Amino acid sequence: MLKKEHYIKIKKIIFISMILVPAIPFISALSIGYYYFTTSLEDSTISSLERIVGDHGHMIDAFLNERKSNIEFILHSYELDTLTDNRMLQNIFKKLKQEFPAFIDLGIFNKDGIHIAYHGPYELIGKDYGDKEWFKEVMEKEQYISDIFLGYRKTPHFIIALKKNDKKNPWVIRATIDTFMFNKLVKEVRIGKTGEAYIINKDGILQTEPRSGGILMEKPEDNSKYLKPHTGINILNQDKKYVYATTWLKNNNWMLIARQEKSDAFKAVNKASKLIIYISITWGICIIFAVFLITERIIRLLKNMDMEKEQLNQQLIGASRLAELGEMAAGFAHEINNPLQIIQSEQSLMELNLSELIETEQLKCSEFIDELKDSIKQIKLQIFRCSKITQQILKFGRQSEPEKKEIDLKVFIPEIIEMISKKAFVHGIEIKQNIALNITPVYGDTSQLQQVLLNLFNNAIDAILERHGTSGGKLIVKSELKNNKDIEINISDNGIGINPENLEKIFSPFFTTKSVGKGTGLGLSVCYGIINNMGGKMEVNSQVNIGTTFSISFPVYT
Amino acid sequence: MAKLKMMLVDDEERFLQTTSKLLMKKGYDTVTALSGKEALEKLKSHNINVVILDVKMPGMDGNATLLEIKKLYPMVEVIMLTGHATVESAVHGLQSGATDYLMKPADIEDIIEKTENAFAKIQKLEEKIHSAQMKKFMKSPREILKNSEN
Repeated sequence: MLKKEHYIKIKKIIFISMILVPAIPFISALSIGYYYFTTSLEDSTISSLERIVGDHGHMIDAFLNERKSNIEFILHSYELDTLTDNRMLQNIFKKLKQEFPAFIDLGIFNKDGIHIAYHGPYELIGKDYGDKEWFKEVMEKEQYISDIFLGYRKTPHFIIALKKNDKKNPWVIRATIDTFMFNKLVKEVRIGKTGEAYIINKDGILQTEPRSGGILMEKPEDNSKYLKPHTGINILNQDKKYVYATTWLKNNNWMLIARQEKSDAFKAVNKASKLIIYISITWGICIIFAVFLITERIIRLLKNMDMEKEQLNQQLIGASRLAELGEMAAGFAHEINNPLQIIQSEQSLMELNLSELIETEQLKCSEFIDELKDSIKQIKLQIFRCSKITQQILKFGRQSEPEKKEIDLKVFIPEIIEMISKKAFVHGIEIKQNIALNITPVYGDTSQLQQVLLNLFNNAIDAILERHGTSGGKLIVKSELKNNKDIEINISDNGIGINPENLEKIFSPFFTTKSVGKGTGLGLSVCYGIINNMGGKMEVNSQVNIGTTFSISFPVYT
Repeated sequence: MAKLKMMLVDDEERFLQTTSKLLMKKGYDTVTALSGKEALEKLKSHNINVVILDVKMPGMDGNATLLEIKKLYPMVEVIMLTGHATVESAVHGLQSGATDYLMKPADIEDIIEKTENAFAKIQKLEEKIHSAQMKKFMKSPREILKNSEN
């Protein structure tokens, strides 16, 4: 019988391999799919950011250049005298505003920074800008475009200032542009839910309001990570929360930033991952459950198969193997008998010659002669012993067809018990018989069944004697109808019992525990074979020092 | 009255040698044969009463030999010698006219006993025949003359 651990091991192997084998390609497929999906989504997110930054960057640069050109046009088209004429300036501003409505005001400064002409909502004429940073810069570099600032006006705006390089009397024209439109342009950029664009200056100060919030002219906290010098478009993907695309504008003074929250950009990925995880878990549970059931089933089948094999093996011993063995043993015994016959004759001749020699006094009686006589006698005895063994083997291997007929156990069993009752009585063994009246006849060879029962009774008596001597023995013979389909004969004794190790081999031919020369070990295997041929079964149960029960069961003969 | 003369038939030469030696020593006139054919041959030339015949022999086996002997020499008694496996054929032998059978390894005493029995049977039979003939002769003494003419 195979051990329990063996099945557990097989179970483990089947279980693990049945889960792993489909799981590996499944997980690989998911991983690969996930990887490519993520990558392509990331690529498309990045490229859309890139595109926005690129397009808007050009747009903003173009916008600034256009505004600058507007002013440049004025600068080159009009003389200072014309421009300082308030009415003229008003006309020019009107035209400018037609060109682009976000112009707020227009002013002219002399070389010392004094506001000499102005058109706009404020009273600025005469104000001195000589020490302002922007004025110094425009005087030096001839042009200046400011960052966005709130100034006196408390509205976001920026200025464009250009210098007219008149050698004697250089002057400066300045226009203020409301960034509302400009702000709108950048703010309107929209990618997904959270994608946005904004501009900061090179110090990191917000030039437009990000849609997600953030106050103009203030520094967003985390600008240092992308505020780096670079050319073209830079992509920043290391951040946990955002993907950034940046580009420098306005001669590296401003930076346009487009960013999108990763959770938003990769929303589809997250959704897909959730679905994948959900499917995986559901699938996994289903698979594990199914595998569990299948494994259980396989193991059960395996166990059944092993059990059947075991039974088949036992039956083989009982039936065909026994017959084969019998045939072989018979042939073997027969072959032994021939040389035995010769030895027998030789022994007789030796015996005869020796006694003649003694009688004719050619040999004198001596110790040696006695020894010789003894040896010769011993040879005879041993030949006799051999011949008994071969006879038993031959009996075992006898292949005569049994004469089958109905046997009424109600009559038959008491008859056999009668045969051994004297022997049992002599040894102080009490025999109880309990034969049910409703048992039906069995079909078989009378003398064979008799042989089986006598054999079992004799074994029982031997076992009892070994334990109890000549008092206290008990032999119980019981026969009954079991479940209306089996006729059972139980022969129980309270003898010495059989240890489990021997119990396994008890029906094997040539297995005996009796001392040398007392048994051939064929009795029970012959019995087993006979019962098998009758279509019955023979079993044994035994406990050392408690007793042994042999059970024979026949299917009800119809 | 004829003297007991027996023949041992077996394919084991040593068995024949030793057993015939033993039987001679015990005062029995013994012929041996190694095969059924040889046995039939020797029956022609020797006046044999009892044949001890091994059942299992190569060539012509015991049963075939038995049938042949019984056909040719009905007055010869045959004892089958068998290894146990061939007990069925020994029984078969008995049915086809053998007088008895011996199981290998057979004791010399058994061989002698069964041979004597068989011989006694022959003698009895011969006696019966003899007395029957005598009665017949008593009725018509001419028969004696007729018989001796044959």
